[in-house]
This record gives sequence, C-alpha cells and structure tokens, in this order.
Amino acid sequence: MIESHNTKGLIFNVQYYSIHDGPGIRTTVFMKGCPLKCLWCQNPESQRLQREIFFELEKCTGCGICVQACSEGAIELFEGRSRTNRKKCSGTGRCAEVCPVEARKIMGRSVTAKEVFEEVARDALFYQRSGGGVTLSGGEPLAQPRFAVSVLKLCKDAGIHTTVDTCGYASWDTVQQVLSYADLVLYDFKHIDPAEHKRYTGVSNELILDNARKIYHELAIPMLARVPIIPTYNDSADNIKATTQFISSELGKNIKVHLLPYHRLGETKYERLEKMDLAVLIEPPAEEQMLALQEIVQSFGLEAVLGG
Amino acid sequence: MNERIAKLKSNLQLESFPLCIEKFKLITQSLEETEGQPEILRRAKSLARVLDKITIFIEDGELIVGNAASKPMGLEIDHDYGPWSEEEIASLKDEGYTISAEEEAELKVLNSYYKGKSLVGRMGEVLYEDERLWPFMQSGVLFPPWKSREEGSGGGYAQGGLGLAPGFYLMGVDFAKVLNEGLQKIIAEAKEELKVLKFTSANAVKKCYFLKAVIIVLEAIIRFAHRFANLAKEMAAEEANSLRRKELERIAETCLRVLAYPARTFYEALQSFWFIFLLITPSPTAAAGRFDQYMYPFYKRDIEEGRLNDEEALELLQCLRIKDMQLNRISGKLNRQKNEGMAKWHNWTIGGLTPEAEDGTNELSYLILEAAKRCPTPHHTITVRVHEGTPEDFMLKALEVVKTGIGMPAFIGDKSYIEYFIRNGVPLQEARDYIVTGCLDANLPAQSRTASIAMFIVPRVFEITMHNGVDPHTGKQLGPRTGEVEQFTCFDEFMAAFKEQLAYFMRLNAERNNIELCAMKELLPDPVRSSLMSDAIKEGRDVLDRVMPFENGAVMNPVGMINVADSLAAVRKLVFEEKKITMKQLKEALAANWEGEYVEMRQMCLKAPKYGNDDDYVDLIARELYQYWAEVTGTFDTALGGKHLPTAISITAHGPGGALTGATPNGRFAGDVLADGTMSPMRGMDLNGPTAVIKSALKINQDPYQATLLNLKFHPSALKTTEDLRKLSCLIRTYFELGGKHLQFNVVDKETLLDAQKHPENHRDLIVRVAGYSAYFIKLGRAVQDEIIKRTEHQLTV
Ligand code: SF4
Ligand code: SF4
Repeated sequence: MIESHNTKGLIFNVQYYSIHDGPGIRTTVFMKGCPLKCLWCQNPESQRLQREIFFELEKCTGCGICVQACSEGAIELFEGRSRTNRKKCSGTGRCAEVCPVEARKIMGRSVTAKEVFEEVARDALFYQRSGGGVTLSGGEPLAQPRFAVSVLKLCKDAGIHTTVDTCGYASWDTVQQVLSYADLVLYDFKHIDPAEHKRYTGVSNELILDNARKIYHELAIPMLARVPIIPTYNDSADNIKATTQFISSELGKNIKVHLLPYHRLGETKYERLEKMDLAVLIEPPAEEQMLALQEIVQSFGLEAVLGG
Repeated sequence: MNERIAKLKSNLQLESFPLCIEKFKLITQSLEETEGQPEILRRAKSLARVLDKITIFIEDGELIVGNAASKPMGLEIDHDYGPWSEEEIASLKDEGYTISAEEEAELKVLNSYYKGKSLVGRMGEVLYEDERLWPFMQSGVLFPPWKSREEGSGGGYAQGGLGLAPGFYLMGVDFAKVLNEGLQKIIAEAKEELKVLKFTSANAVKKCYFLKAVIIVLEAIIRFAHRFANLAKEMAAEEANSLRRKELERIAETCLRVLAYPARTFYEALQSFWFIFLLITPSPTAAAGRFDQYMYPFYKRDIEEGRLNDEEALELLQCLRIKDMQLNRISGKLNRQKNEGMAKWHNWTIGGLTPEAEDGTNELSYLILEAAKRCPTPHHTITVRVHEGTPEDFMLKALEVVKTGIGMPAFIGDKSYIEYFIRNGVPLQEARDYIVTGCLDANLPAQSRTASIAMFIVPRVFEITMHNGVDPHTGKQLGPRTGEVEQFTCFDEFMAAFKEQLAYFMRLNAERNNIELCAMKELLPDPVRSSLMSDAIKEGRDVLDRVMPFENGAVMNPVGMINVADSLAAVRKLVFEEKKITMKQLKEALAANWEGEYVEMRQMCLKAPKYGNDDDYVDLIARELYQYWAEVTGTFDTALGGKHLPTAISITAHGPGGALTGATPNGRFAGDVLADGTMSPMRGMDLNGPTAVIKSALKINQDPYQATLLNLKFHPSALKTTEDLRKLSCLIRTYFELGGKHLQFNVVDKETLLDAQKHPENHRDLIVRVAGYSAYFIKLGRAVQDEIIKRTEHQLTV
C-alpha cells in the first residue's frame, strides 16, 4: 500500500492521556467511519465517513445566523431553535464558525498523516516514561487503510509504540497491511454467534473471527480482547462463555480479556446528531453481573479485566 | 475506623461552633497588670496566664490530650488582629456561630481596650495618610482591600490554639529538639546564658528580656502539661471502666514527663508534639515539618522492643488527625472569602530525600497515609515529597489516598524545590531537608520563616494598564501614566506598559509588606516560636528580630497571572497581528462586559490561544510574565534583612479577587473567578487533557519560586485500577523531573458535587481540594463550589 505523509484522513477526536486503550499513557486518535452498525453504538459520531454537525439544542438561541450562513439551505428555524436537515447538510462547518454561542460544532477533521503524527508526537515524553504510545481507534481504523498505515509508520519510525483498536471487519489484505505496523491489537468481540452478530451489527462475524485467527497466528501480533457488555444484547453467560472459549482455544491463553460495561454517555450524542430515533436506551450492567462475567472468563484460565 | 476514632470523629460534626473569649480575657488581665514592661515580657506573661488558667478538659476516649480552646470545638477570639466589630460578630452569628449575650457584652469591653493597639491599627498609622499607599491598600490590587484604618482588611480571627499570634507565619519549629532533648534543657541553656550576659550593648539588654521571656513561657508550658497530668489522675480515680482508667493513668504519667524531658516512646513523642503544636497555633499555617523523619526513631524503637504495633500506631495517628480538626478557625468577612471553608494548612511533610541524599520514605510515612485513609478528615494536610528514588509502592499508596477523594496528599517535586534553596545560597545538604509550611511554601526547619505574604491580583493591574494608570472602577489615577493603549502600534509597546505598571504596584506591595513586618516585629514578639529556632538562645533574639540562616521574611505572590497571559495573547493576536478588532473596540467591549453587540467579539477572544493547551503562542507569554515577576521581586529589600522572594500560590483569592476585577480580554466576564492555582489553566480552557496542561506548566521556569500550584481534577474512572494509578504516578514523576513543583488532584465526579449542592445534608462529609487545602464542600461559598464543578474534569475516552 502506498503510504505517504500527505495521505488525508478523517478523524473526529484526538484524546490525550488516554489510559484505557493499551499500555501506558497513550494518545488515542479516533477515526471516522465504520463498516458496522452496532445498535448500541456509543460513538454514533464515529459511524459516517463524512463531516457532521453536533448540535446542542439547549445552547441555541434561535438567532438564525446559521440559517443565513448555510450554503446548502440545510438549516431552518423551528420552535425558536435551529434544526438541520441532515440529508442536505454536506458538512461544510460554516454554521459552526458563525454560531455566536457555540451551539454547533463540526465533527470530523480532515488531516494529513503528518499532521496527526505531529499531534501525537507532542506527548512523546509521556510515552517513553510510561511505556505508552498511540492508539488508532474509531470508528474503524481499517476503514481508512492508507491513512492508518501512513500514521502508524510515521509513529513507528519515531519510536512510538502503536496500537490499533479494531472490529476486524476488513479484507485480509487490508488487515495485514495495516497491522504490520501495529505493536499491539485491541480486538473487539461483539457477539460470538454469527446470526446474532449480523442482527445487532449488520454483518456476520465469520470474516472477523477468521481475521482474528490469522492476526494472532500468522502475524503473531500481541492481542488484547475487548468485549463490550451490552445488557440484553450480548451479556448472557452463554455468549461470554462461547466468546472466551473461542479466544482461549482458537487464539491463545495469554490473551487478556477486557470486559467493557455499557455506559450511557453515548445517549446525548444521538441527541446532538438529531438522531434520537436511533438511540437505544439501555441500563448499564450492574457491578455484580460484571463480576460474574469476569469469573466466567477467568474460569478458562484467561486474565479478565473490568473496564479499559 | 475503630470505635474510638469513630466516636471522636463524630464529636467534630457540630451544628454550630462556640465563640470563646476566655483566652482574650486572661491575656487582657495580664497585659493590664504588666503595663509599662518590655513587650516581649508582657507577652510571655500573658501566655503564661493563659496556660495556667484556661479551662482544660479531656474528652472521653482521647489518647492524646490538650484542648485547643476553652470549650469543645470552640474558637477563641484572637485579639492581636484587631477588634471584632459588632457587624462582624453579627455576621458570624448568622453563619451559625454562637456566643452568649453576656460574653458578647464582655467582648465589647475587651475590644475597647485594644483600639489602635492591634497589628492592623499599627499598620494603619503608616498607611492611612500615605498618598500612594492608602489608595493602593483600598484598591483591591492586594486582596483583601482595606476598609478603614481601624478595621484593616476586615475583622480579626477567632481560632483554636493556645499560643501567641501572629498566625500567618510560614515556618517549622525544631520539633526534633523538643522530642529528643526536652524543654528543661532549653530553659537551662537560657539560664546559663543569662548568667554570663554582659551588658555592653543595647542588644544585650534585648537579649536579657528575650531569655527571661523564654524561661517564663517554657516553664509555663511544662506546668500546662502538669495540669493535664493532674486532671487525668483525678479522672482516673473516678473512672469505672478499667480500660479507660488505665488509659487515663498512662496520660497522667506521660504528661508529667513530656515536654520537660526527652520523650522515650512513640506515644510520649506524639503527646509532646501535640503540646508544642498547640503553642504554635492559633495559626492557619502551622507546619509539622518532616514528621515521618523525626518521629521515626521513636516508632522504630517501640516496634523493635515490642511496645507498639502498627494498629496502635495507626490509632494514635488518627487521634492526631482528630486533634488537628479541633483547631477551628474563622476570620473576618473579607478574609473568609479569601480562604473559605475554615481554611488552614497544617501540613505534614513526608517522604523525599534526606540530607544525605537517601530516600527518606519509611514505615511511618506509609502509616501517616493509611491514617488519612481510615480517618478521612480534611485536616491535617499531607504533602508527599517526590524524588527519583521515591518507591513506586509509596506513590501508589499516596494515590490510593487521593482516590478516596479527600484531596490529599499533595505531591511536590524535590528537584525544583531544592533548586530554589540552592539558588538562594543554601548548602545542598540543608536544602534537602526542606519542609512545606502553609499550603506549599517551603522553609527550612528551624532556619527560616516567612512572615508576610499578600495576594496580589495581577488582572487588576492589567485593567489599570488598559486605562493609562487609572483604576476604571473608581476613576482615580492609581498607577503611572504608561500611555493611552489606543495609541500603541505594536504588542511590545503594550507589554512594556503592562510591565511598568506591574513593577510599580509590586513596589507598593513590598513597601506594605515591610510596614507589616515592622508592626509584627514591634507588637508581636513570640518567645515560644523563637526559642525553638536554630541557635535561639545564643542569638537571644525574637524570630522577627534576627536575620535567619536562610532569609525569606516576605514573599510576593501573583494571583491570576494566567488570566493576564491569556488576555495578552488575545490582544496580541486580535488587535496587533490579525487586526480583527481595534483597541478602542476592545475597551468598549470590556466596559460593556461583552454585552450587546460584543457577543461575537467575546467568541473571538475565547478562541484566541489559551494557556494549558501546550500552545507556545500563549505559554511563552505566561513564561515571560512569571520570569519578570521573579526578577522584579528580587529587587526589593525586606525589613528583616533579606530580599523579597517570589512565590505563586493563590489560596482561594482567585474567587474574590475575580469579583473585584472587570471583564478581561481572555473572554472572561466582570466579576468571574480567575484561574485557580498559579500553574493551572483558566477553568474550562484546557481542552487537551492533563498532559498538555503539564507541558504548558513546564514552559514556566518554576525554580525561582518558593512554591507554585497546579490543580488537576480527575473523574474517578481515571483512578480505578492499580494500572491507572501507575500511569498517574508516571505523570507526576515526569512533571517533577522536568522542573514542576506541585500537583494536586480533586477526584470526585460532577454528579456527586451537584447533588451535594442540592442536598447538602446528605454530603456533610464530602471533602474537596480547594487550593492547597482540603475543605468540606458544603461549607464552601456557592461561587467556589461552582468553580470546583466547572474546573475541567480530565475524563476518559467518551
Ligand atoms: S447560529 Fe447558533 S444560536 Fe443562532 S440559530 Fe444557529 S445554532 Fe442557534
Ligand atoms: S455544516 Fe455546512 S452544510 Fe451542514 S448545516 Fe452547517 S453550514 Fe449547512
């Protein structure tokens, strides 16, 4: 794959002092665009590979400045506040620039690999001392493979430890090319049953599981498993058992499993994207349930961690 | 927490606190009798009167004895800071403090005795008619502004503690000497010195008074301990419970011995320590020094000889926390705003390098932390000294305590602290023995003291610069004429004008400090503290009347410097570089407090570079300002013989200081709080997390400063696992290795704080870190509460 400093990518956040996305103190680059559509997605702003407007209704004064500014005619005033026609919006970000009360924010920043690298390198000081580095997350890093490779290569060349957090849904070719620049992979297991996986995420998990085997055995990259615990969707003991079974028998017993309890911080994001219809309202799992699931994983002889 | 500690701790939670006048009365009686005698002797005798006569008591379950006031949890009116006006007393009663009608009437009579004789009155003699200084004192450039000649900066103090004022000393007395040698030895030395004294100079006469005063107070302290021995003996005789009877007997034996003679056990050492601590208070800034160092030999010997186990040691250390909680304090209204929540900084310094460059961490250091974890009271404060060789286990232990949310310990970096002393000519070995006094200022045990520290509100000077030396709030010409800013053609001109104004007001600050120092020296000699400093008897001088081995008598302290850095960045970018707005428009916008047509301009200003994001554009301005402050400070002499030295702590003056300051070009509204801490970004302006804040702070050369302050607020989810704590420890170490001085953490989520505002009754024990000290959240003013909530919460990936 042709990587280059000037390869452009779309990201939506750079999170410094990120301490739950791999070893040490890290900087996590959140890339935009994801091939999956998990019903419970907690980062809905990460899904589309396109710039979008985050709108804080509470702040809007209904002044109408943004309506005038929008070249696409995507904004109208409604009940004293602005409202965006998301189909018409092309993500110019003009409205965010003019809004006097910062009710509008543009999600998604088009940057070159070099620019991202420079942002990441700022904290090199802390990586050295803590054994940290960069983590590409998303969204799905594999959805922008050339950009991902370019960023990873720049980091590796600068001696920065690289981690990729992926759902694993991409052609083997892509997986191989991107991950050859990764020192560590955080691999998501959303559901072990192919049909359920398809039902909740939009795609089956056969390719994902297959890629996992190859990454672990052929590329021999250290791997951490990440299992989101979403009540009523994938939190049954059976699913966790089967998932752990897969990890321990088909991958390796040295893989640490992180059980990530669902949190509700994503809910407001649906509001801000004016997509409330897509938000599912789920109660986070109880502490006791998390502990019970942790025990299940441990019973296979794997190390299990609650949270990041 | 065991039953004893739980019970003693519950005694601390009162609905209202009694104001006491017993100490005031005893002192007044004595002073009336000694009229005409040398001041230091009068003071010594008045203290002896207090120690001989004040009501004493031992509370049920107490192991370490020595009450702080004549009533449990009481606050003794402190006469040395000026009278309590009726208005001030009324406002205290409104806030739930109690005083009986008879005592209130008596207080009025006592007050009248002190008209003009207080510290404030004496300073007023000089300040009141001075053309330059009086308008300055009233302007609020120094916080709090003075109201009138008589009332100074707003009423006096009422506090626990049995010693002599002044309270705002930053110093550490020689605890080790008392514990290891006993007071009898010092008394004997003083008597010996008196015998050989030849009156060949005026100083010899002074020395004679001093030595006599020392003998009077030290003997009185020993008698005071004996009063407790007798009381405990009487109580033991009547005690039905045999366990408690034994405890009381042990108290009696201990009090009969300690202070006069060297302590033999950990228990005796603690009791000795506490009596001395009672005598260096009332003081919001009394320091325990390197408690884990000088106490360790006693602990170790007891453990080795099987007299003590860790559980017992822990119980005693918790008792000590509770004793310190009994040292209440409250100040006049304006000072209450300056440091809220019964602010005090009784700092225990632990860990760090020994003079021989070894790691000083020992078992006791861990136990002190464990005691705070088990008995999570806001006081005493703990500060952990960190150097390269600090064990990681110790860091984790300290962070475990941080995690409980009580806002302590604070962490400080040996490297920059030691460098500060080296720069000021202190030998390396001695520098390594530094201690924290007050919230973060450093001193050398028994070798130095800081007596004057004012809060200088830098953004007020920025406003004055914007108006060519005129204070926009009063229209008075307060500073020099540095030019109409509308005429300036480049940023350098603007900066030069600001610096000129700053230097002018700093000089006034220094002058005011000297007036304060002289008044203190004249009116408030303290033979207790003075006798516990190095070479005290040979020197034969009060601690304010001698040049100390390390002389840092007065420090200069900028508050809100970061707001000025942000404001200068906005001016530079928007007015001079991008020319998006004119100076005239900016001034109009500030005068209009950003209202009306200026809403958009405020947005532009808010978007200008802000300190705390690792952005050189503004960080280098902050660096330049702090550098300039340090340089200018060093040009001013103090009345005690040294130079002024720079420090940078803000207590909570950034709240009320902000209230006195108009809108500023960083986008801040008039009256809003200023940046807290001195290395901390303006709240909400740091958008890139704690590493960027740290990188910004590291651009400022902190070495010339006696202290700096950086608060970080974390969401509890950032400190869940040991792994998380290790990462935080790495952050701390990195900061210190690269020249950072101080870090402290508030760990509590927003929801809890909001709930506490709504339902204070459910959160009576919620403790937060304010600025260098911890306080009960519900006791803080609303503005400070809001500010804590708004302070950026460094959260995890969302
Ligand atoms: S410009 Fe901002 S405040 Fe005005 S209508 Fe648009 S979103 Fe609302
Ligand atoms: S981002 Fe651009 S296209 Fe979309 S609503 Fe705003 S101004 Fe219109």
